[in-house]
Order: sequence, then structure tokens, then C-alpha cells
Amino acid sequence: MAAPPGMSSLPVITGLGFITSIGNDRPTVLRSLRELRHGFEPMEFFGNPNLPVKVAGTIKGFAFPTANWRDWTWPDKFAVDRELLRGLAPHGVYALCALQQALTDAGLEAAALTDGATGLFCASAGSPLLLGHFLDQMHATRGERGNPMGIVSSIAGTLNFNLAAHYKITGAVCGFVSACASSSHALGYAMDEIRLGRQQRMLVVGAEDMTAESIIAFSSLRALSHNPDPVTASRPFDVRRDGFVGTGGAVALIVEDAALARQRGAHIYAELAGWGQAGDGHSVAASHPEGAGLREAMRRALADARVNAAEIDYVNAHATSTVAGDRSEALALHGVFTANHAKPRISSTKALTGHGLSLAGAMEAAFCALAIEEQFIPGAAHLEETDPVCAGLDLPRTSLDEAPRLVLNNSSGFGGSNVCHVLRRPS
Amino acid sequence: MSSPVSPSVTQLPAASEQEARIKHLPAEARAAFQRFQTGGDTAGLDPVIFAILQDFIPLAPAVPLHEQPGTTRLIDELGFDSLSITEVVFFTEDLFGITITNEEIIQVRTLDDLRGFIHRKVAVRAKR
Repeated sequence: MAAPPGMSSLPVITGLGFITSIGNDRPTVLRSLRELRHGFEPMEFFGNPNLPVKVAGTIKGFAFPTANWRDWTWPDKFAVDRELLRGLAPHGVYALCALQQALTDAGLEAAALTDGATGLFCASAGSPLLLGHFLDQMHATRGERGNPMGIVSSIAGTLNFNLAAHYKITGAVCGFVSACASSSHALGYAMDEIRLGRQQRMLVVGAEDMTAESIIAFSSLRALSHNPDPVTASRPFDVRRDGFVGTGGAVALIVEDAALARQRGAHIYAELAGWGQAGDGHSVAASHPEGAGLREAMRRALADARVNAAEIDYVNAHATSTVAGDRSEALALHGVFTANHAKPRISSTKALTGHGLSLAGAMEAAFCALAIEEQFIPGAAHLEETDPVCAGLDLPRTSLDEAPRLVLNNSSGFGGSNVCHVLRRPS
Repeated sequence: MSSPVSPSVTQLPAASEQEARIKHLPAEARAAFQRFQTGGDTAGLDPVIFAILQDFIPLAPAVPLHEQPGTTRLIDELGFDSLSITEVVFFTEDLFGITITNEEIIQVRTLDDLRGFIHRKVAVRAKR
């Protein structure tokens, strides 16, 4: 039951599903976060040994060697119908598997999602692999041929098109496109749907392909690490960082009105206490040099959650391991925390997973929920020599057996979109 | 001013390309297609047609397609939709080097309609 008019409902997380480089189920992901096990493997993109990018956050158990779904494989434990497969991109397969997990985790049957009280917000950049394939086919046949599912399987929005139809969602359905802040936007606006009483339950899904087409596109931006060592290629906040390591996968979160969750006896991982966003107003691709937008987004999230900076126990930083981006975030963190004599634990789990682009925000929100649930703080993996700009920030080298009560999750995307969530231990 | 566009996709592709196109179909269908390629055996194409339908049908039928009555309707009884029909049409056009118009395919309602239609189209193509 939603809160009475005038009262805000409280959104809570009741289910999680993971298809990530550090695990395809909750226990494996949890172990990876606790023990700082990374998900990287050597990778030769496009079969080209001359490319300087040598490492990726691979998704184990899945393979998408061509654009033809007949060549795709995934773990047997997941059900992917032919009817659905024809409209999916590789990351759609990841997303379906993650959502199946999350629904099971939340104790929900598919039949419970169809009454209009459940909505679906998704985020991905679409599928460069499939889009390129279909455009090649269009050019080769001078427009005489096309796959009828070409559009719905490849463009940004493919996740919400497919999952909404498959699960017969009649509530709010939308896709979010703000690059690496996309699924953070999806989660933030999902919180609002609950708080405004428009929906009682939201499915939030972030996903990306893990293909050369998706990742190497960032090489021309000089955003990718050239470090061939999987153990050190992704090292946010380290002075020797040289770019991010790409990954894909999918994460699904089930967000419900707390009253409904309690009424049906659902397990609650965490409360979603607030969120905030702010633009840099600066550059199409680069972070603001002083982290202005991210600083303001953090402040707005804290204000929305009605908490002080000093109350935050852990920050899951956006830090992707790029030289400029990590510096920008460190300055933003100083502006919010150091300036207020606050010193939360800080780490970027991208040191383990790589950068999941549109997936990143939802993935890391789910990690934050796990940290709250399992009473630990993920360490700052691969950090050996901390960048002096981080002096005064608390970056623990190992995971800590500390139970965070309030957690902040940061995300930043192209165009200077910055989104932050505050998660709280259930009361 | 638009330039004239000659039909490109109805050219019969190379044999190796055709083999790659049907590599996922059952052996019986691949053998039937090879007989068609080498000897022009259009009468024996049913395994190919059933295999293509089986490949694109949205939900696998309880009874195999080749055991269903010829009067079985593609959309109402087998669950084909306009998208999967389009996939069948495109695949069939490319495999046999034929052209199927929307006006033609809209007349095809049953399994027998489709078999007869493809047989006629392919036979005309084979005589060229």
C-alpha cells in the first residue's frame, strides 16, 4: 500500500541480480568484493595484436562471437526463449539473466508485475555490435534487406522495449541515456516514482555489451588503459593509473515501496534515502577540472536524504582510473567531505569490475546494498601509490569488516551528468 | 533525381555462402538443399522449408511442423507473427534467390500455402 497523499513513500531494495565480470550471482560477487578479486582477463580486441588495449572485464559463461544470435551461448541455468532472443542484443541476454535472478531474490513471480503498479527503468547505450552489423547489411543490399528486429535489438532503449514486452509491464517504462550516469539516473527516477506514489514497485536494469565495438570506441578518446597486466590495469586514485578497463554485463535491482515490501514479508537490503544530480556545464566529454558538478550532485543527494556529510560511512566513488576523472572526483570529495571535517571510507569498485559505462551506476548501487546487508566496506583494490590529490581521503587498501549505515554512490557521465544516491541500512 | 537501382539481393549467392547460411539447420534439410543446388531437385525441398519455419517460429510447437496437417494456419495456430513471417520471407528470398512481395505473402495462410508458394517460386527461378 502506498503512503497516504502528502506523505512520501520510502523506496527500498528487495532484490538484486548480477551478471558482472566479478561474478554471475550474489555469493560470487560478494566474495569478490570482500576478497578484492578482480574480473579481468587478457583480451585481443578485433584479433589485432597492434591495439594497445590488452585487458577487459570479461563476463564468464557467456559468449557472443558474432552478431547472429544462433552463435550465442549462456549458462544453462538461465532461460532465454527463442521468441525473446530474436529481439535482444548481447547485453539484453545479460539483462534478462540478471532480472531473473533479482526477481527470484525478491520472491516475486512474473505474474506479479503486470497490474500497472510495477514499472521498469533501464539503461544501456544500445549495441554497437548489432547496429554496425545491421547498417553493413543495409549498405550491402542498398536498403533492400533488413532484419525486422534490427532496430529494437540494437538501439538505446532495447532493454526497456524487450523486458517490458516480455514481462508485460503496464506501469511506467522508460530508458535513460546519460552515458556512464545512465543507470544511476534510472535508479534515481525509479526512487521518485515510488516516493511520488506513482508506482509501488520498480525494476531497474543497467546493462552493456562486452564487445570490442563497445569498448574500443573509447580508445580514440584516450580513455582506456594500455596497461597489459590484469592485476594493475584498473587502479583508481593511483598515481600510475592510465585509463579505464572496459566491461559489460547487467545488474538488476528490485525497488519497492517499503510498506508493500513489509506487507509481503520481503527481505530489505537497504533503503534508498535520497538522490541528487547536477551538471558540470563544462565539456562534452571531460570532467569538470574541479569536480564542480559532482560536488553539487553529492550535496543535493545528502540534502535529499537529510543527512550530513559526516554521517556518511562509505562512498562508492565513480573513479574509473582515468587521470583527469579521478582527480576531478577527488577534488569534489574534498569539497563535500574534507571541507566539512568528514572522512568516510572511499573506494572505487571499478578497480575490480572495470568500467561498465551505462551499467556502472546500477552495478555500484547494488554493491552498496550488498555492503550494507553484509556489513562490510569494499577496499580500494590495486591502490599502491595514492595520488597526492587524494591526501586526506580515507582509501582503505583492503575490505573492512565495518557495517556502514549510510552509503553514498557516485556516478558521472558524458556532458557532465553527475548522479549520486544515498543508501541507508534498513531501520 | 534518383538513380536506377538494379535488384541486388535476388542474385543467387555463392554456394559457400549458402552453406554458411544453413549450417545451423538439421542435416536432412542441408542434404535436401544440396540436392536442390546440384541437381535442381525442387520437389524434395520440404525438409528445407520446414526447417526454416522451425527456425523462426516464436514458440516451439508441441507437434513437429512436418507432422502437422497442411491446413494448419501459420499465424492463428502456429503462433507466427508479422515479424517472424518477415524473417522467414527474407531468409527464403536470400537462400533461393527469389523475390516475395508483400502482396504475395499476405495470401499465404497455411503450411500447404507456403510449401506450394515456395515450390512454384523456386521452380520458376530454376528454369531461368
